[in-house]
Amino acid sequence: MIQARNLSKNYNDKEAVKNLNLNIKPGDIFCLLGANGAGKTTTINLFLNFIQPSGGEALINGLNVSQNPTKSKQYLAYLPENLQLYPNLTGIENLDYFSGLAGKSYDQSELTQFLKTTGLQESAHGEYVKRYSKGMRQKVGIAIALAKGAKALLLDEPTSGLDPKAANEFGAILRQLSEDGVAILMATHDLFRAKETGTDIGIMRDGVLVEQLKPQDIGHADLEKLYLTHMN
Amino acid sequence: MIWKIARKEIKETLREGRFRIAGVIVLALLSIAVVISYNYYNYVQDQHAQASTNTRNLWTSQDEKNPHSAAHYGTYAFKPKSPLSLIDQGVDKFTGISIFLEAHRRNEAQFIAAADQTGLARFGDLTPDFILLFIIPLLIILMGYNSFGKERENGTLKLLQSQGVPPGKVALGKWLGLYMPILFLTAGLFLSAGLMLALTPNFGMFSWTALLLMTLVYLIYYGVFANLTLIISAWAKSGGIALVLLLSIWIITCLATPKAASNFADALYPYPTRQEFMADVSEDRKKGLDGHNPWNKEAKLLEKETLEEYGVDSIHQLPFNFDGYRMQKGEEHEAEVYFKHYQLLKDQFNQQSHFYSMSAAVSPYLPTRFLSMAIARTDYGLHWDFADAAERYRLKMMEALNMDFAENSAYGNWAYKADQSLWEGIPDFSYTPPTIGQIAVRHLSNFLLLATWLVISFLGLFWITRKL
Repeated sequence: MIQARNLSKNYNDKEAVKNLNLNIKPGDIFCLLGANGAGKTTTINLFLNFIQPSGGEALINGLNVSQNPTKSKQYLAYLPENLQLYPNLTGIENLDYFSGLAGKSYDQSELTQFLKTTGLQESAHGEYVKRYSKGMRQKVGIAIALAKGAKALLLDEPTSGLDPKAANEFGAILRQLSEDGVAILMATHDLFRAKETGTDIGIMRDGVLVEQLKPQDIGHADLEKLYLTHMN
Repeated sequence: MIWKIARKEIKETLREGRFRIAGVIVLALLSIAVVISYNYYNYVQDQHAQASTNTRNLWTSQDEKNPHSAAHYGTYAFKPKSPLSLIDQGVDKFTGISIFLEAHRRNEAQFIAAADQTGLARFGDLTPDFILLFIIPLLIILMGYNSFGKERENGTLKLLQSQGVPPGKVALGKWLGLYMPILFLTAGLFLSAGLMLALTPNFGMFSWTALLLMTLVYLIYYGVFANLTLIISAWAKSGGIALVLLLSIWIITCLATPKAASNFADALYPYPTRQEFMADVSEDRKKGLDGHNPWNKEAKLLEKETLEEYGVDSIHQLPFNFDGYRMQKGEEHEAEVYFKHYQLLKDQFNQQSHFYSMSAAVSPYLPTRFLSMAIARTDYGLHWDFADAAERYRLKMMEALNMDFAENSAYGNWAYKADQSLWEGIPDFSYTPPTIGQIAVRHLSNFLLLATWLVISFLGLFWITRKL
């Protein structure tokens, strides 16, 4: 569902992503770890076609995103690190707006159901988003992805700034999406969440995917040690 | 999709405190301006009606007198106040509202409203056109400067893009979201003004077509400002930078360029001073026939030519009073002199206007200003047209009076007196301003300039947002 084939991105002399190969299947949660500047966000931006690759190709559902920018986006949803949404719209209005832009039309009860699925308390649905915490906004972001019926989900450090409870709830939602067959690529610094939630873990360093492993094959301490090795 | 984006933008705008506050202020200012303008219009209109009636009565109720004395007694031509001056007073306050019509002289308009005001008038009046031309563009800037910036800051721009919304549709949706509230505000204002004008009995020749055309001009103007606002919003790195840039554009467009253009136009194509103008007129008048002086060279020449034409030896043998005839010929010479010198002024005015039109390349304010005044019939073009009509009327009036003197009395009979029937036989001055079609054709270049601004700014918007 989410594939990279020798994907590269250069900025002048700097290679931000170097010959990346990925194959994330439906139901997979691929957690991409790495230091700041390792190339995680660049990778996500390449899949979103926000930037053009210098080499190779990024594919969503088999479609080259550079060649099919609009069609490939029908299959994916995206959640940025610091999603503020529209502060003067309510949570349900934000959801209605974005799902409408994705070509979906839902009535109030359906929209409410999407928000409920993410765990957003019902009393908050009609409140302006400017009063939401980050965790609540992330839940609306997930609801947007659910409403879109996306088969691929790209998450850019979605749990940064969330309290442990909210992060735990967020992990549970991701696992549910995974069970529903959604392919997920999540860039994160949260080693614990990656190990608990992910089906695959990759570590990037200087644009290169230097490690790829299964969470069950490594303990928390070893994962941290490995991660720190690549931080230097 | 475009409408969904537009509806969201409008909903957000209406919920934002800054728009509500700014909107209330603009509406309050507009209401005050319309009320002030309405009262001023009624005041002037009443005065105009009274003065016209009184002047006509004074003219027709003259005692028996020599027609040339009546020509010197004179009368007034009053410029009708255009109904749309309720919205745009243009240069009305600076051009005067009546012209004294008398023998031998082409006078300039009198009763200039600005001259009757104190020095505080220097600060200008609160008029609807001030709000329309200056304040509403500011409101557009205030509403839209952060349109793209906040999407970037809130992370929603990427979310929008990830939904597969093409950038052009985002731009168009945002444009509509910014423009629609302004459209409703403007349409509401013009509709209210139209109803007010249509339902007021003494508001003269009101035309919905003219009002519609004026509305269209302002809507194009706001369309240009909406485009400029969104272009800068999309281009600037932050909302703060966008606001500063847009305010700079507003200052350059609405304040600096018109004043600079005025200074340059005046320097390049200067008007003569009043003293120079009068001296030139006087000089040329002296070179020709003086109707009052039978002894000057031209009068003698006229006498000789007339005697030859009628085959008589003495002006006493002419079938008309030569004094009256000479007066008329003198009037015709003076009219030619005035025509020549006023034409020079008009040529300078046209050159200045042309220069102004060229300045519209850097300011959409200028063509809008010209079109608004022209459609309201409060511009200099209308004033020239009125002054020319008054002059044509004066010449016909003088001809009627002089020829009555010439045809109904003998040479040297200055005691001849005409009665009231002559005064009543001269029709009252009536001025028909150019039709809205004629105005539109005359200002076609300004329409084209404004339309060019709209098209180019739209292209600029789609170009700058092609890769958000």
